[in-house]
Amino acid sequence: MIRLQIATLSAAAAGLLLLSSPVLARTAGGDGSVSLTFETSARTGAVMVALYDSSAAWSGGRPVGQMKLDVAAGETTATFDGLPAGDYAARAFHDVNGDGEMNVNPFGIPTEPYAFSNNAVGNMGPARWDQARFTVSGATAQTIRLR
Amino acid sequence: MIASRRNFLMGAAALSAAVVTPETVRAMAAMQATADWALATADLEADVAPRAMRLVHGRAPADLTGTLFRNGPGKFRRPGGSVTHWFDGDGLMRAFRVSDGQATVEARFADTPKRRYETELDAVVTPGFGTAGDPRARIGLNDDANAANTAVMLAGDEVWALWEGGSPTALSASDLSTRRVVTLRDDLKGMPFQAHPRYDPDGTIWNMGLNGGKAIIWRLNADRSLHTARLIDLPRACFMHDFTATARHLILVLQPWVFDHRGMPYASQFAWKPELGTQVMVVDKADLGRSRIFELPAFSYFHLGDAWEDASGAIRFDVAAGKDVAFAIDGARVLVEQRGTVPGEPAVLSLITLHADGRAEMASSGVTAEFPKNDPRRAGLPRRLTAHVAGETAGRPLPTGLAMHDWETGRSDRFDFGVRHIVEEAVIVPKPGRTGEAEAWLVAPSINLVEGVTELHVFEAARVADGPVATWRADVALPAGFHGVWAA
Repeated sequence: MIRLQIATLSAAAAGLLLLSSPVLARTAGGDGSVSLTFETSARTGAVMVALYDSSAAWSGGRPVGQMKLDVAAGETTATFDGLPAGDYAARAFHDVNGDGEMNVNPFGIPTEPYAFSNNAVGNMGPARWDQARFTVSGATAQTIRLR
Repeated sequence: MIASRRNFLMGAAALSAAVVTPETVRAMAAMQATADWALATADLEADVAPRAMRLVHGRAPADLTGTLFRNGPGKFRRPGGSVTHWFDGDGLMRAFRVSDGQATVEARFADTPKRRYETELDAVVTPGFGTAGDPRARIGLNDDANAANTAVMLAGDEVWALWEGGSPTALSASDLSTRRVVTLRDDLKGMPFQAHPRYDPDGTIWNMGLNGGKAIIWRLNADRSLHTARLIDLPRACFMHDFTATARHLILVLQPWVFDHRGMPYASQFAWKPELGTQVMVVDKADLGRSRIFELPAFSYFHLGDAWEDASGAIRFDVAAGKDVAFAIDGARVLVEQRGTVPGEPAVLSLITLHADGRAEMASSGVTAEFPKNDPRRAGLPRRLTAHVAGETAGRPLPTGLAMHDWETGRSDRFDFGVRHIVEEAVIVPKPGRTGEAEAWLVAPSINLVEGVTELHVFEAARVADGPVATWRADVALPAGFHGVWAA
């Protein structure tokens, strides 16, 4: 019998709205890579992925790389190459209806599936950097379930 | 049962006296202090498979056939952390199935993300209405905190377990297994669908969901598909568990328990400000943008009766009215602690009248009451009867009887089991083929504290004081539930 502090959840959406147009992965010069494979139930639209390389960037700064996966064409894995070894975290959402936005309901709760690396789940907001952070050293891979 | 269980535990403790530790001493002291009503919030550790109930009193009406589905919290405590408020236990759906004079009972927990995660951790960590939770909580969406524990709505071959801050959880009506979280329309996924839908005679269903000073008003077709959903602005942001309706209006009662600051648990966000009085917002069903506001003195409440409009255009409905929010804040905490005294006074059945000229008045029946329920054949239409639980006193929580209040005569037709029973909400079950308001049965379970088991009772709605006409007894105690619905 509770209602959540609903507005705080839309912060999770806000961090992803930057991805309103397709952007190729930016490479930062290094020999590390990470492949993020996404599981999602819908077969339409696109999965938007953003990769961050620091706690500061995660909390409102610029991603180090962004990708758009064409789900309808069967793309499910985003690979970011040329990464310097270090810590990274990713956030993603499934733009099921292809309108380029992470849709929310009238009270600000996401209505399209989203997720963070490590399948981290926040507590009434986005997952924290320390929950979603993973180390890239050489080739790294993760499977992320969008929910 | 309480006594014999205690004796058993004490005996077990005595047998192991050679290894008595401070912990066992404390545990024994705790057992000794446990209240006689503690079964109301005892933990049910596992689902209860369907089993026959034994007829122990009277005879079942031959034409009483159907299922009483009831929801309510059934699991509160885990080794790594516990619920601290009655409203936050895991949703347990019960089905009492009656046919051919026989009754069976079964109970199954809703398989929610919250219950799954907390089972894995062996700790309650999710914040709730009155439970703070802890940093291990995983809430990516509001339905991750959904306890599915408050009420139930019939939906074809499903029953929907309702909560207050999220989506319905659909369970199979035949075996109570969890099927899905209900999304009525993709763009409304996760919008709150509260625990007290109201029904029109044509099957239309109205419900609401709140977020601060805004409400979503849901209108569903009889087949439970979405007709429309619309947001309305409220004159104040306050806690509102229920609303009511006439044939033409939705009635939102805005108590002065108003939003004050963000925080968890949920109830901690509200401040009781009786100086604001209680407002009543009457919304036109045909045009949700049209509303009127009435002003009343301050009262608190959880539950309203069905409303009706008389020939003068006055709107009437009943409310189980309280003086403050002591029960909501502290009383429900005492219930989970299973000992102590509930602060404040029990709610009293009162009738509110909203006159066409804008005046509003409230008349107390003087009768202690909660869980008001009305004849489903008259939802939104003129009526005179309200069934309710009764017998709660300031010194002892939880009701001990049932009553039928007649607003025309002022008569309260009441039966009290005494403190040996905790009586749960009654549903009014119309007699097949009959139309009179009193031509119905009341069907309600109780926890028999002497036997330590759950019972199911049938009363004649016109003669409640005569006591149950039939009582079946289970071989298991289920914790006290909140709300139910009868499926004929």
